[in-house]
Amino acid sequence: MSNPLSLIGSYLDVSIVFALVLAFAPTFGAFMGRVFMNRPTFGEGVFGPVERGIYRLLGVNPRHSMRVREYAVAFLLSNAVLILWVFLLLMYQNQLPFLRTSGIPGMSWDLAFHSASSFGTNTDFTHFVTESQVTEGSLLLGLQVEMFLSAGAGLAILAAFIRGFVRKDGTIGNYFVDITRAVVRILVPVSVLGAIVYVLLGLPQTFATSVSFHTLLGPVQTIPLGPVASWQSIMLLGSNGGGIFAANSAHPFENPSALSDLFSIALMMLIPFSSPFAFASAVRRKGEAFPYIGTILIVFFIALALVIVGQLATNPQLSPIQALSQNTFYSAGQETRFTLPEGALFQTVSVYANVGANNMAIGALSPIGQMSMLFGMFTQSTPGGVGTGMGYLLTNTLIAIFVGGLMVGRTPEYLGKKIGRQQIGWSASLLLIHPVLIFVPLVATLLGGFAVLPTTGVGASAHTFTSVLYEFTSEAANNGSAMGSVYVNDTTLWFNVVGAVVMLVGRFFPMLAMLMISHHFAVQSPLPPGPGTLKTQSFTFMIYLTLFLIILTALLFLPAIALGPLTQIGAGG
Amino acid sequence: MTARAPRVPGPFDTIPDESATERPIVPPGRHALLGHLRASIVLVILGMLILGLGYPGVITAFAQEVTPLTANGSLVSYNGTVVGSNLIAQNLSAPWLFWERPSPVDYNSFNGSPTLLGYSDPALYNETKAYMQEYGPYAVNASVPEILVTVSGSGLDPDLTPEAALVQIPRIANVTGLSMAALQSLVNANIVPPLLGFIGPSYVDVLHLDLALEKILPAQYRSS
Repeated sequence: MSNPLSLIGSYLDVSIVFALVLAFAPTFGAFMGRVFMNRPTFGEGVFGPVERGIYRLLGVNPRHSMRVREYAVAFLLSNAVLILWVFLLLMYQNQLPFLRTSGIPGMSWDLAFHSASSFGTNTDFTHFVTESQVTEGSLLLGLQVEMFLSAGAGLAILAAFIRGFVRKDGTIGNYFVDITRAVVRILVPVSVLGAIVYVLLGLPQTFATSVSFHTLLGPVQTIPLGPVASWQSIMLLGSNGGGIFAANSAHPFENPSALSDLFSIALMMLIPFSSPFAFASAVRRKGEAFPYIGTILIVFFIALALVIVGQLATNPQLSPIQALSQNTFYSAGQETRFTLPEGALFQTVSVYANVGANNMAIGALSPIGQMSMLFGMFTQSTPGGVGTGMGYLLTNTLIAIFVGGLMVGRTPEYLGKKIGRQQIGWSASLLLIHPVLIFVPLVATLLGGFAVLPTTGVGASAHTFTSVLYEFTSEAANNGSAMGSVYVNDTTLWFNVVGAVVMLVGRFFPMLAMLMISHHFAVQSPLPPGPGTLKTQSFTFMIYLTLFLIILTALLFLPAIALGPLTQIGAGG
Repeated sequence: MTARAPRVPGPFDTIPDESATERPIVPPGRHALLGHLRASIVLVILGMLILGLGYPGVITAFAQEVTPLTANGSLVSYNGTVVGSNLIAQNLSAPWLFWERPSPVDYNSFNGSPTLLGYSDPALYNETKAYMQEYGPYAVNASVPEILVTVSGSGLDPDLTPEAALVQIPRIANVTGLSMAALQSLVNANIVPPLLGFIGPSYVDVLHLDLALEKILPAQYRSS
């Protein structure tokens, strides 16, 4: 605060990284679009033969295109097999003949159910302490595989969703081809590059699980190790977010310096911020990316500003303490090696891109910052997780066009496809299941006494309420960031089972709805645009979409925000 | 060839490569479900071999070759023995040393990450006061930076801001009899500036600072 110049200067590095990723997004998005639409891409000579080999092993004919029913069955079956395998692996992880970590027992069925569902649904909400509850075999053969395949499934569903706009034969693609291409062409190459950069930035990368030594003062300290660089790379790229350590990206091994923090920001942003361009490239309308990226950026910058403003303010609670100097750039829950802008941009990107990694403690964030985080998980689409975020944004757009069309008397259609009763029905159910998945478990938890609000002050109870709200919101949005409260133990049977169900429904119902919407478009022949067609490639439409998104979300979730973060502010927080 | 879209969309073209590479030439077939089950199982097995073992294996081989020091935890040696990690805080709360930030998990990653008290929780006031009592009385004529008496996100933060190190000098001088000026220049010599002048903050690595301090400590306070 004393030096305003250094204050401005400290925003320089994050601005450069943000601008660089945005500048690269159209190129990477166009590449993603080519991957989605089965067009030849960069590196065809390498990827092509690899994929053909995989199709052979899978027994899949890549030229076979599926109708929605078959696609959905393939998608659900594949995910069920994956989650079931990891569930069994976690329960019996101590009996694996290799890659065991001594002293770590098998998980209880409910914790294994929660954990396998969590990583399989791209949520990565952890109810375990990784260091002392997950063996190396479970990490590598279970959770890391889920991180790749759940991100790949998200991209596959987006590809299938987009095909509805360009096809007219009633098919929406081949699930196994989609996930294979997404993993082989996008996730693996970028993960490998990212992991190499992380290695050079000083992250541990070894199959040893820990190292012990006598500290300077004598006692023994044991620190966990592992293949951190390779884990961190796919964890952030695939919007997973489940740390190889409990402290996640606040742990100095996952995020050792400001430079690694900046690189992590870029890695998290890459796919979600490129997705509008991927969509535009896939439907061959370059300008169609504009309203989406515009909407994403407006909402994102408001959110980021709220987080920074909240952290810059001094905590009025601590002001009465004599001789305590509240530095506006550091407060509880932050790490010394990141400046406030570096920490805040990481955290906001992480929650808004549905990664859910933490480099600061969300529980210690200002209430206004917590509100901002919650809002990102309510919309799920600014920019949202890998694949699914763009899917949610398109679904919101369909409703926005439908409502807008009704208001100005235009035909509700998008890219030459009529938006009919079916599409609106599925879109609405997809959006409405989100508050149901949050509020029903929240109310049941509080009424059932599974979480008891403390009576030591309004600030404490409102914070605890917010943390339970945050938990179910994070699970329903497949985000995975956790706020935590010292008054609530969320590793109980209740939280494990209910949380797992919320994550599974919150993931697979909306994805099936997206497939259904795609199907109802894919059976239509495209119409030429008439005088009644709403022009979506316009500034007006972008502002309309932004306001529509904000108002719709506020209407659905304002009561919860009022009881949580706003009450904390009212209590002098 | 009208590959690029015009500003105002024209009539919808058929997508040539969509039809070229992916025409539905095969009907689902009678055993489609079994086929999908097989594909799903093989996908998981391939995932375990390539994504679960192959990928981290290759990266580990690379890391152990190129950056063996950091790949194995950035361990720090002092007088020939390992005393800590560059990146992980340890308990240094001896009266004659610079202290790390407080850690509710006892600087032990296996205890998980600390659950922090809420911003608006009255208990935060009490907790901060308690930490102040521990750290505060030594701060003569100075105010205690918040960072020194609040918990970090990981509980393992190995660094301090320069102010949070400087504020501990009166205590160390008092205990050890070293001069304030000597300690001050020790801290100043160990400040890590922002990379390139604008990436990251200025900070002090506490273990490094204490290892430097060890060299000038009176013999009875030295650890080795």
